[in-house]
Amino acid sequence: MEPLIEEAELARKGAPTDPIAAPTGESVKKVDTRRKSPTQIALARLRKDKVAVICASIFLFFILIAIFAPLLAKLEGQDPTTLNQNLIDRYGYPTVAPNGEHWFGVEPRLGRDLFARWVYGARPSLIVAGSVTVVTTLVGVVVGLIAGFMGGWIDRILSWIIDFVLSLPYLLFAIAVPAALLAVFVGNTEAAGNEEVASVRFYALIIVLSFFGWASLARLIRGEVLTLREREFIAAAKVLGVPTRKVLFKELLPNLVAPIVISVSMALPTYIVTEAGLTYLGVGLTEPTPSWGLTIAAAQSWYRADPLYLWIPVAAITILVLALSLLGDSIRDAFDPRTRR
Amino acid sequence: MKEEQAVLLYILRRVLSAISVVIVTLVASFALFFFAPTDPAGVICGPRCTPERVADIESSLGLDQPKVEQIALYMKGIVAGREYSTGGVVRHCDAPCLGYSYTLGQPVTKLIAAALPVTVSIVLGGAVVYLIVGIMAGTIAAQVRGTSLDRFVVGSTLVVQAIPYFVFALLIALYATFLPDSGYHPFLDNPFAWASGLLAAWLTIGVTNAASYTRYSRASMIEALGQDFVRTATSKGISRRRVVYRHGLRAGLTPVVTIFGIDLAFQLTGAIFTESIFNLPGIGLLTLRAFNQYDLPVLMGGVLIGSVVLVVMNLVVDIVYTVLDPRVRLG
Repeated sequence: MEPLIEEAELARKGAPTDPIAAPTGESVKKVDTRRKSPTQIALARLRKDKVAVICASIFLFFILIAIFAPLLAKLEGQDPTTLNQNLIDRYGYPTVAPNGEHWFGVEPRLGRDLFARWVYGARPSLIVAGSVTVVTTLVGVVVGLIAGFMGGWIDRILSWIIDFVLSLPYLLFAIAVPAALLAVFVGNTEAAGNEEVASVRFYALIIVLSFFGWASLARLIRGEVLTLREREFIAAAKVLGVPTRKVLFKELLPNLVAPIVISVSMALPTYIVTEAGLTYLGVGLTEPTPSWGLTIAAAQSWYRADPLYLWIPVAAITILVLALSLLGDSIRDAFDPRTRR
Repeated sequence: MKEEQAVLLYILRRVLSAISVVIVTLVASFALFFFAPTDPAGVICGPRCTPERVADIESSLGLDQPKVEQIALYMKGIVAGREYSTGGVVRHCDAPCLGYSYTLGQPVTKLIAAALPVTVSIVLGGAVVYLIVGIMAGTIAAQVRGTSLDRFVVGSTLVVQAIPYFVFALLIALYATFLPDSGYHPFLDNPFAWASGLLAAWLTIGVTNAASYTRYSRASMIEALGQDFVRTATSKGISRRRVVYRHGLRAGLTPVVTIFGIDLAFQLTGAIFTESIFNLPGIGLLTLRAFNQYDLPVLMGGVLIGSVVLVVMNLVVDIVYTVLDPRVRLG
């Protein structure tokens, strides 16, 4: 078998056509393409990409922090909820700097341990972003497959719904919907406990982000399926009498791996930012959930007196999102032969 | 003749679909907020409130009517206006009436009319910054494609795009103290105060969005400069500068303008972070305040205005693009 993809690359010296791609004419990572599936080729390319490997390690580091948050807090000997009022002076300023007992110091005013809140804060970010990514990908792929493959009135209805969701101002809805959901599930907000409100807000955030997230992927998949379904192997499967479900998931889906993987890798950092941003605005997660967005919101009024309080969550979220975005770019380059830099 | 009919038919179809989206949004958001078992009368009345007072408020707002009738009333208010009576005083709310704010006691339309110029000023000023910076950087990078300068530009756009927007805006707001204080002053009162109060917000929007526009215009210019007409122009002896900025840029900018139209629509509904961090009383901040105070009519008004702006802007972009580029219609 000839390494067709590498040849196609060498032949392609003309202008790039993808508007988002930004080829700088860098040398392409050479990998052995013989007897390998496109996914294996892409993964081999990714392993040779230094930036991708570093970014993936950073991502893994944060996942480990989130998983072992209780262990790390125990190692430090603190927990995220104890109020160390003895370490706070009467103006609310912490009296201790970061030390062996409180690795990142304590929160002004309440005196909770910052390291413990920081490691626990990795959890909601990753859980919300992860579950929203899973839900939107599943829904987007299934809707896109059905709309593109079935055509006719099913396609028309699904396409209208896709257009509808895409034409809603999602940030405004992200503010408005949790208010309504809170009223439905908790009833009187003033009577309900903090814990209850916090857990409803947690699910409300996932629901809202999922509701608005699936449509763009569905549109992308639908477009891909529209071209794929005219290909010979689909016609062959139909002639052989393969059931529709099998055609969709065994014949079409494997051909959609690249756009799906690319979309997932782009979605994850976006949702981490959205979660932190909405939480920062006060419409996402609420106390007592430890969250970086909440810490940033609380720390902004202490930025002069206690810069570390602000900068630790800011650094964490910036590094995590930066790593994931650059990883996403590398993944796109590895999986999509047309947009390689 | 046939061609024109096709264009008209396409536009008509898009307009109808846009109207259907707005109507569904209207009904869906109404159902969402008003079917939820909330207690707006209690919110207006405050903690020390008698049941009679609550009942009075409910009847004045029409909250004691069946839900379906409430929707009909709300719709009628948008088309023809409606009356509210509170404590014997009848207030008329002119069409398009979106109800009264529970907590501010003003018509929602008036609040939105006051907030809209703020949001528009922020978004348009920011757009000027990122279009100028982005297109210039992209055009320059396209000409030196593959050099270290090009790689530096592309690399920095990647990094800038990856920084969370609200973090970037917050750090600017906290640490860039050399910028004039943020705040909104109407343009007609004092254009200078207007500009200096918005400068920090403009620069923040400008820098972050310039990254993606650099990448768009760079890719687009590379393609445009590879076309035959550029070669023809060069071979006619026209100076390089003229070829790039007259011939290349004109062709290269068309896709960028389309993306800009769609972006602008989203920013008009989504300047929430900018408004909240720089404390500018636009639509986003109005909605946020309504969320915190449980002010449902304002919340709904904000969502509706956002949807209408988005739908109309998308429609305009689509139609303009169809008229400019006949190939689009085939899709």
